[in-house]
Amino acid sequence: MADLTRQRPDPTRRAEALAARLPALLVAAERVAATVAQGVHGRRRSGRGDSFWQFRHFASGDAPTRIDWRRSARSGRPGSAGWFVRETEWEAAQTVCLWRDGSASMDWRSAGAPVTKRDRAELLLLALGVLLLRGGERAALIAEPFRPVAGRAGLNAIAAALSTGPATEEGLPPSVALPRNAKIVLISDFLTDIADVQALISRLAGLPATGYLLQVLDPAETLLPYEGRVRFTGLEHEPATLVPRVEGVRDAYAARLAAVQGSLLALCRAAGFGFGVHRTDHPPEATLLGLYTAMSTR
Amino acid sequence: MSLTAPWVLLALTALPLLWWLLRVTPPAPRRESFPAIRLLVGLKAKEETPARTPPWLLALRILAAALVILGLSGPVRDTGSVLPGQGPVLLVIDNGWAAAPDWPGRMRAAGATLDRAARAGRPAALLATAEDGSGTAPAVTPVMAGADLHARLASLRPEPWPVDRAGAAAALRRADIHDAAIVYLPDGLTDGAGFPDFATAMHDAGAVTELCCGLPARLMLTPVSEPDRLMARLAQTPQADATKAVVLAQTGDGRTLARTEIDLAAGAATGEAPIVGPPELRNRLTRLVLEGAPSAGSVALLDEGLRRHPVGLVLSGDQAQAEAPFLGSLYYVRRALAPYAELRLADLPTLLAGDVSMLVLPDAASADESARAALTRWVEAGGLLVRFAGPRTAEATAPDADPLLPVRLIAGNRDLDGAMSWGKPAGLAPFPADSPFAGLAVPADVTVNRQVLAEPSASLAAHTWARLADGTPLVTEAARGRGKVVLFHVTADADWSNLPLSGLFVDMLRRLVTLSAGVAAPPAGNTALAPMQALDGYGLLGQPPLAATALAADAFATTAVSPRHPPGLYGPESSRRALNLATALPAPEAAPMIEGARVESLGGDAPAHAFGPWLMAAAIALLGIDMLLALLLRGLLRLPGRRIAAAVLIASLLAGGTIARADDLDTVANPALATRLGYVVTGDPQVDAISREGLVGLSMFVNQRTAATLVEPDAVEPGRTDLSFYPLLYWPITADAPALTAAQAQALNDFMTRGGILVIDTRGAGSGEGFAPGADVALRRVAGGLTIPPLAPLTVDHVLARAFYLLRDYPGRYENSTVWVQRDEDRANDGVSQVVIGGNDWAAAWAVDTDGHNPYATIPGGAQQRLLAYRFGVNLVMYALTGNYKGDQVHVPAILQRLGQ
Repeated sequence: MADLTRQRPDPTRRAEALAARLPALLVAAERVAATVAQGVHGRRRSGRGDSFWQFRHFASGDAPTRIDWRRSARSGRPGSAGWFVRETEWEAAQTVCLWRDGSASMDWRSAGAPVTKRDRAELLLLALGVLLLRGGERAALIAEPFRPVAGRAGLNAIAAALSTGPATEEGLPPSVALPRNAKIVLISDFLTDIADVQALISRLAGLPATGYLLQVLDPAETLLPYEGRVRFTGLEHEPATLVPRVEGVRDAYAARLAAVQGSLLALCRAAGFGFGVHRTDHPPEATLLGLYTAMSTR
Repeated sequence: MSLTAPWVLLALTALPLLWWLLRVTPPAPRRESFPAIRLLVGLKAKEETPARTPPWLLALRILAAALVILGLSGPVRDTGSVLPGQGPVLLVIDNGWAAAPDWPGRMRAAGATLDRAARAGRPAALLATAEDGSGTAPAVTPVMAGADLHARLASLRPEPWPVDRAGAAAALRRADIHDAAIVYLPDGLTDGAGFPDFATAMHDAGAVTELCCGLPARLMLTPVSEPDRLMARLAQTPQADATKAVVLAQTGDGRTLARTEIDLAAGAATGEAPIVGPPELRNRLTRLVLEGAPSAGSVALLDEGLRRHPVGLVLSGDQAQAEAPFLGSLYYVRRALAPYAELRLADLPTLLAGDVSMLVLPDAASADESARAALTRWVEAGGLLVRFAGPRTAEATAPDADPLLPVRLIAGNRDLDGAMSWGKPAGLAPFPADSPFAGLAVPADVTVNRQVLAEPSASLAAHTWARLADGTPLVTEAARGRGKVVLFHVTADADWSNLPLSGLFVDMLRRLVTLSAGVAAPPAGNTALAPMQALDGYGLLGQPPLAATALAADAFATTAVSPRHPPGLYGPESSRRALNLATALPAPEAAPMIEGARVESLGGDAPAHAFGPWLMAAAIALLGIDMLLALLLRGLLRLPGRRIAAAVLIASLLAGGTIARADDLDTVANPALATRLGYVVTGDPQVDAISREGLVGLSMFVNQRTAATLVEPDAVEPGRTDLSFYPLLYWPITADAPALTAAQAQALNDFMTRGGILVIDTRGAGSGEGFAPGADVALRRVAGGLTIPPLAPLTVDHVLARAFYLLRDYPGRYENSTVWVQRDEDRANDGVSQVVIGGNDWAAAWAVDTDGHNPYATIPGGAQQRLLAYRFGVNLVMYALTGNYKGDQVHVPAILQRLGQ
């Protein structure tokens, strides 16, 4: 009996259990996204697209084929001063590839944290998805199979993929064929080996692709609030380590963490990626705003 | 202060090692899971403070270990004296009757002596100076370790006979013990002439320490029966101060019917006090008990010898004529008394020569002057003379014609039914309350045709015990000296009335017999009487000891008690004889101190105090605290848990093991929120306490057995407390209860008319006025203001008798008192009786004290009676809660029959 109960439940059962909390997650994501969307305006500028945007005077260098002769005839002016060029709104939908770390180290929270890192990462991912899909972009979860979606219905597909997707052991996205010039958002605690992250970013930059790395950390991971003699055990089969006096190593730990974050930032900058840090005890809206702005401007 | 195991202290030297071990062993680390462990690996603290056990925790553990070691070494504080001598310790204990009153104190002192001997490493021996129940002479036990002697000591009992000094002295010499430390617990009496020899024998065996002077020995002597009283006598060792002794006169079932105090002057060896009471009460006494610590000497058993009532029937002529069936003058008297009394039929001189307590004289004014004088002397000495009228009596009307008539008579007799009279035969009036016949039912068919008439006088009414319906006396009496003369104004045969034919006649004569004083036992022969019950050392009747043998009837006055003849009751029930301890015992004589003995006080020796268990308990407590602290340090005890643990710790420290009873009643302050019983406060604290305990006991019983849930009962004061919340009020009546005020009566009347049930208990009116005299009168006075409906005795058909249990009897502490409920025909209040009146003292039977015991014995007793009392209480509660619901049960047979068809 004991062995049976200790087994992991079969995937269908897990999916059902996860799906049960999906609407709540979606609702939370919508709420977070709604707060952010009001502060950002759509991309009201001309570009490639089908819908009419504006007429403007012909400028030298414009292709003659773009002159709207009917509008130009109505202007009644001679020569090129009366020529009008018809502009359409920029409607180039871009694919944003999203990924959150699903490893065991993400599924953890300290006593002082409200949610686990994984919960917060999924919330941010879905909220970003809401904003992107609302803005007409295409979004996709970096997972097998890679399936970009668009429109409101696409969000459900992403959420379902999040909840039913296989739990990955390694803390890096799977290597799937990503579209060129895609925007990539990676949400993880990035506590893996820095060389792995470097390899990943250089691979993505070679696609070429740009994007954003968001490091989600528990407050305990930032502050190391333990005291006394503590035996720390890892969550991903790392060997346990005994710290005789935790308060004594707190500063060294902070320095090490800062060093990791600094090298991550340097990596991202070199590849044109953005980098941000989010703590699970902070509200998600600010981070989401930063993330979304980064998506819009680049 | 001494140690029982001093070598254990060697372990204290290991404490520094323990200190070092504990210091170098760091506390176990807490365990934390941490995802960012990669960042932690290989980090070095800037300041390397070694993680060691905190010093205070170290001190706590060392202290606990030290306490364990000290506790195991067995420290004992003993303020007692040192045992002299080098040989064994010999404990000599007087376990005769005089040692019983402070026996537990003696056992403690003896046990302490044995402990002291064990600590000193000296063997011990024990000598009990009285013979045991199998008649074995005193003997010194083998010398053995003091600890092993405890079992022997525990099996010692005070015996109901005196100690055997000669036997004890012989045992001491036989044991051949020298240079012993002798600890002697004397009973304070010489117990015969052998004491000096015994003292010498002890003196020879070693140094004597005398643990002296318990209570003075008191001995109840056989009481002396006098015509109107019983003289309780007491002997004691003379005391320096004047004291009092209280003697209780008890019946066979343990009721105390009388109590008297014997004043003992300073230096007095004996004292006596009368126990006064009507003879019929005295005749029920079976023993006199000295109040105080029990012993065989504090009990004097009374036997049939003090209670015999031989009745003499005076023959005045031919025996055959007097006994002729239906016609003889003594025929009916003899038939009436033969089953109940020892009858003798003879002429007057013969009867007076023997022992009689009552004489029946049918119409015989004896002409013989000497016989009359002898009869007068007999009466004045305490005899009871019962006379019947007759033709000859009717003639003796001269003023001094017959001094043995209680009243002066009018010449001639009154003919109520003759040819010349217009009257009709007269019936009997009910007996006056002060008459010994009071309470006897008067049959309607008893009529009197002729009678002699008393001369009217002012005092006639006071001398009349029975009268006719028209008021003329039928039975008169007068005291003559210490005796009494009683005259029936009719003949002893059926000539003048049909009274001798009725059952009333038998009852009247029986009452007269119980009025007469008993006489001493007849000179008995040498019939051997077997021991039936024997007193034990504490004065309780029980099985006779093994050695008890039969005793000749004529040897009772001279036999000294011994294991062969223990004090107790001998012989068959009809002629039971009592052998008392005091019968042939010399007066108690205080024993002198043993020469050269050291004297210590019996109770002054503080008991040895062993600290070991306390030290161990402290160590365990410290280790418990240490464990909690260790859990805290390791983070295994979370904060709320910390609070709970602290609460548990504090509670266990403070409460000290007081365990609440599981079946305790709830307390709800607001009477509207829970059902409860109530009792009316009488003002007598003891009665109120009984009521309270009784209702608590009943409520617990009801809660256990039924679906009803009752909480703590309330004390109510009618007129002040709102009675509308109580379904049932229990109201004990005390003899001095004041009448109800108008407001109180109004409150109780309202309570009853609005559906409440008032249970009125006269508390032992059924016990023959023994415990609550005057309660009936008080009930009449108290209940005057209440509207009590017409009452009828409670029968088995009443709903109250079947409301929960099917009951036939309704006993409380007593039984056989009639219980009165509202008459069934009255349909007011839906046929539910508003009042239940009885006198069985139910609350005392229900009472449960704080320890869960029943403090009041039921009488006559037994668990069954108490159970029935509880069941009646359950029925009362159910009746109060459900009304006449169970009244439908009377239809059950009919319904079943109909269903069957």
